Amino acid sequence: MPAPSQQAAPYRLRNISKSFGPVAALRDVSLDLRRGEILALVGENGAGKTTLMNSLFGLIAPDSGTFQMDGHEGMFASAADAIGHGFGMVHQQFMLFDDMTVLENVLIGAEGPGWLGRVDLAARRAEVMQVMDRFGFSLSPDTQVGDLPVAARQKVEIVKLLYRRANVVILDEPTAVLTPQEATSLFHMLRGLADESRAVVVITHKLAEVMAHADRVVVLRAGQVVAERRIAETSSAEIARLMVGHDIAPVAKTSHTQPEARLTLDRLVCSGAGRRVGPISIEIRAGEILGIAGVTGSGQGPLVETLVGLRPAISGRIILDGSDITSLGVAARRAAGLAYMAEDRMRTGLAIEASLADNAVAGREGAADFASGPLRRLPSIAEFGRHLIAQFAIRATGPEQRVAELSGGNKQKIIIGRELTGAPQLIVAHNPCWGVDIGAIHFIQGQLLQAAANGAAVILVSSELDELFALSDRLAVLCDGQMTALVERTELDLGRIGEAMAGAGVAA
Amino acid sequence: MKWMGWLLPVLALIVIVTVPALREAAMGFLDGAFGGRNMFNLWSTLSRASMLIGMAMAVLVAFRSGLINLGGEGQLILGGLTAALIGIYAPLSPGLLIAVALAGAMLVGGLWAVIAQALDRFLGVPLLVGSLLLNYPANAFASWLASHPLRDVASGVTQTEKINAAARLPRFAGTILDYGIFFTLAVVILVILADRLTVIGYRLRMRGLAPLFARAQGMPSERLGYQAMFASGAIAGLTGFTAVFGFSQRYIDGMMTLPLYAWTGIVAVLLAGIVPWRVPLAATLFAVLATGASGMERVVGIPRESSQIVMGLLILWLAGAGRSLMDNRK
Repeated sequence: MPAPSQQAAPYRLRNISKSFGPVAALRDVSLDLRRGEILALVGENGAGKTTLMNSLFGLIAPDSGTFQMDGHEGMFASAADAIGHGFGMVHQQFMLFDDMTVLENVLIGAEGPGWLGRVDLAARRAEVMQVMDRFGFSLSPDTQVGDLPVAARQKVEIVKLLYRRANVVILDEPTAVLTPQEATSLFHMLRGLADESRAVVVITHKLAEVMAHADRVVVLRAGQVVAERRIAETSSAEIARLMVGHDIAPVAKTSHTQPEARLTLDRLVCSGAGRRVGPISIEIRAGEILGIAGVTGSGQGPLVETLVGLRPAISGRIILDGSDITSLGVAARRAAGLAYMAEDRMRTGLAIEASLADNAVAGREGAADFASGPLRRLPSIAEFGRHLIAQFAIRATGPEQRVAELSGGNKQKIIIGRELTGAPQLIVAHNPCWGVDIGAIHFIQGQLLQAAANGAAVILVSSELDELFALSDRLAVLCDGQMTALVERTELDLGRIGEAMAGAGVAA
Repeated sequence: MKWMGWLLPVLALIVIVTVPALREAAMGFLDGAFGGRNMFNLWSTLSRASMLIGMAMAVLVAFRSGLINLGGEGQLILGGLTAALIGIYAPLSPGLLIAVALAGAMLVGGLWAVIAQALDRFLGVPLLVGSLLLNYPANAFASWLASHPLRDVASGVTQTEKINAAARLPRFAGTILDYGIFFTLAVVILVILADRLTVIGYRLRMRGLAPLFARAQGMPSERLGYQAMFASGAIAGLTGFTAVFGFSQRYIDGMMTLPLYAWTGIVAVLLAGIVPWRVPLAATLFAVLATGASGMERVVGIPRESSQIVMGLLILWLAGAGRSLMDNRK
């Protein structure tokens, strides 16, 4: 076996492969981690970033491959094994107990119980305080974690790692939930950790922060390492191209925008969690796809829920086809031509414990097609289920199958099929391609384009910029509840959108 | 292996049949549940089953809709009390009296349940807590009425006067089972059909399975919540009516609470996995368990409270199997 070219790297993942059923999530991936360095692991959704790090951290057993470090050879058997070897990972969804204090959360699993299982809280507390002081965390140890804002919870996770003396710190999409300022201070803190000779790995798909804060970037695409670059020797345009596999110049898309306004938002103010979203004024025309970009949590959720009628507007008006629908409920808006593809597929988009047919007719269960008076027309309902299965190539055993048993892409196809039935006038789609395979993404995007071509106005809220660039006729950017940019398709520019996402206002 | 699950019960059955003392106890159990002179015990089991099925169906309607209604007892008591008051004091012809008492019992039971839902929606009192606590004023009020203003003093028992004798529900010839069971069976059939065949049944089911989904699809979630609670309370009220117009012919203090109808109904629904057609079977099982245990007590001296132990174990198992009360919470 030839000697690895990077002799200096103290942590070496070699030839990792992992398949989930027929899907190859990782194919022969090798990766070096170095002390004192921030490594950015980038790639699109489903590229294998998280799977790779979960394999390293002992959460997933890869099909083949190994890991080498000083005095250790082989994959970690479990997370506890990894932690014992000085590894720490902050997951995308925080692993914290909301009802417990910061101190208790940091200690849990590392209480070091003494005689008769007693935890020496005073001593532990002093140690935790010492760690927090050393790294400049200003967290009160007695605050309940549930009362903390997201950025502070993330700090608790990091204190957890430091308290366990982690030498390798892995963070999975740490900035998805942070404001740009919080993200910057997070990276400053990570730089401090790297300067103390730790290896830091950040999984992300945000290129601006990679360019600003990382030392080295490894690009994954479809489960393979396609490139490794020093940051000084690359550009965000190159990384973007490597991630997607081609230039993300706008896809050739015909505009079907018609002259008349379909939906008008007139100084609309929505109630968000703890702050207001808006005022937003915008006109969306028939046949137009309006993309909405922004850091996760910039107000997309409240805006979508207000548009579909799940959340009352604080002020302003929503006008659909000339009539004011601001005070109408979901059912009335749906009757007026609204279709809604919810972000939370498992709880809002579907009743996963119910049958495919029951899900397919939801929202129209009382219409003449599926009910005569108070009675449901079960044969028609089953027939419609079969129709959806055939038309959208849903892999299901039949209309009676429980939706929970279907794959993510097939679940989403039920939603797409249901919502696009009956030629909707206005489609509100929130991350419709999140977590589905490439084929399904292609299909879903095609359906949205087709619906727009048929005259529907489409509002596409997405956290994937390349998707927004490909589909939008115009792109609006939300930051901290405000619309910071509204850009025509012909003027789309990654740098400019990125600035608007970070809060730099761009005159429309 | 699926058959492994059957191994233990089959072995237990073999042991019970072969060991004489156990066989005697088992025969006592069967006799207590189904035997007796003129099959007296069978009718008594069915009479009890009718009450349990009624209460279980009441709970089912709420649980199926994602509403944790623990107020069945209060709704049952007030339904029965209303039926008793109408039965004693309303100067109506027997047929009309039955109809009015039934309607009154259902209305009062339903409204009592709706109060709990309104407390949840307007004041933020969780339905689970509000519905549970409303049991106590209902019981205390009924208890006070039966022991003071409306007491049948001559009887020496805390109970009201008897209802108009002409309006009492007839019994099946030669048995203690009355026609109240027809009302319960009607409820069973209506609930099962409504769940499967009607739009509102579908909406309530979706509301129970995925409340956010039901709302996002435009179902009138708020109204459905009140409708389901009213229906749940009304069925409990109806069950109270069948008790008062059937076997007791008056309101007796403790008649609804001491046999634990409401609580056993909840356990039956959980045992049935909140699946409508299984609920009457589960409720009947508990009736058999209770009357059978009495028989066992008579024959071999095993205290009838042993049936409570079995029920306690069942609850433990249900909790362990993950089918907790909270499963369908909104």
